[in-house]
Amino acid sequence: MKSALTRMICRFLAIAVMALPFQGVQAGMVGTDQVNSAASVQTDRSVVLNYLSRSQTVNELQALGLDPQSARDRVAAMTDDEVGTLAGQISAAPAGGDAGAVVVLALVIFAIWYFAFRR
Amino acid sequence: MPEPVAWCRIARLRAGVFALLVGLSGCASFVPQTMALRDAWPAGVALKTELGEVPFFPQQDYQCGPAALATTLVDAGVDVTPEELVALVYAPARQGSLQIEMLAAARRHGRVAYPLAPRFDDLLREVAAGNPVIVLQDTGLGPMVNWHYAVVIGFDYPAGELYLRSGQSKRLAIPFTVFEYTWKKSHYWAMLTMAPGRIPATATESAYLAAIAAMERAGDGRAAMPAYAAFLERWPENVAAGIGLANRHYALGALQDAQAVLRRTLAHHPDSVAVLNNLAQTLSDLGRNDEALALAERALQRSESPFAATVHETHALILQRMGRNR
Repeated sequence: MKSALTRMICRFLAIAVMALPFQGVQAGMVGTDQVNSAASVQTDRSVVLNYLSRSQTVNELQALGLDPQSARDRVAAMTDDEVGTLAGQISAAPAGGDAGAVVVLALVIFAIWYFAFRR
Repeated sequence: MPEPVAWCRIARLRAGVFALLVGLSGCASFVPQTMALRDAWPAGVALKTELGEVPFFPQQDYQCGPAALATTLVDAGVDVTPEELVALVYAPARQGSLQIEMLAAARRHGRVAYPLAPRFDDLLREVAAGNPVIVLQDTGLGPMVNWHYAVVIGFDYPAGELYLRSGQSKRLAIPFTVFEYTWKKSHYWAMLTMAPGRIPATATESAYLAAIAAMERAGDGRAAMPAYAAFLERWPENVAAGIGLANRHYALGALQDAQAVLRRTLAHHPDSVAVLNNLAQTLSDLGRNDEALALAERALQRSESPFAATVHETHALILQRMGRNR
């Protein structure tokens, strides 16, 4: 049991390390990301959690009708914090789409208020 | 003792009066920020302004997200259409676009996506500074929810109106009160898509640095260079931006430029291990190993640094190169 769990964690870690966006410009230079993240401690745990959030978000985007590649590209453009906020919340998060009709109703009801006071 | 029914009536009456009073006094809490503007208009902001040059893309179907994003991106100099942005921000099953994806898509076009603080003041300040602002509104009533992206392009406070590029309207005039009511439900969510050389009027040092770093990681390294350069003009002492700009120069092989930036940063932070190390590496690459060695040794003295391993590598490399040259 224990070895299976360990193996799974190892796999995640291996993938997480490969998926790490950290890249020094070149050997010998301290990378920009490293300086930015030096303050917020980048533990192994946070790296793995971030990896899991990212793959979960990719899956959720696919469930919303995106093809796998564009779902991955879209998640790649999000920051760690953003992915952490979004993972598991996609169906609850506001999605601006505007059907249009409701606006008219809203405007009619607001008309009174509109003329009563505007600012 | 009154009959139970009468009690019930009095209670109902009281509840009614109470509800009415709450309703009347509730106007202020309905649109708190608009009320606050009556007492204190943001200092230094003109009472009316309009960014007439901002383009307009009439919304197709449910795609107000791509339309709003195209509006500000084109204004920031990107050559893009709403149709192209659909692939980046539209989620078919939700018939809409998520806020985080709006930010992410701007980065992929080499523009700095900057979420504003949830304040009317900041929105007005940005528009007055010439930056059209994407806002998320809920234009539904009561239990009906209707999320909608629009772009604020101007306002006329004496007339009590804000001007928006919204849906099919090229210039929707909407009262401050109504606007706040619809905007409040998104917790006053607003964002900018800045051309990399410009800084928002309300930007804070830490938040804007994070926004640039996010753009750089999203893939457009070229845009990061002018963004860091502009950032350093505003906040010259920032270490991370100095390193970021120098790294961009270094990656392009512009070692002299990298060196100049790192020297300026080092002047502000003589003990920064990352700056010492990167400057040492750059000087060594320029063939100035004696200077490089002195800097690497300064960096080595701070062994508790998280970059100690890199410093050791740099130090060893410099020694190796010096040995070869002698």
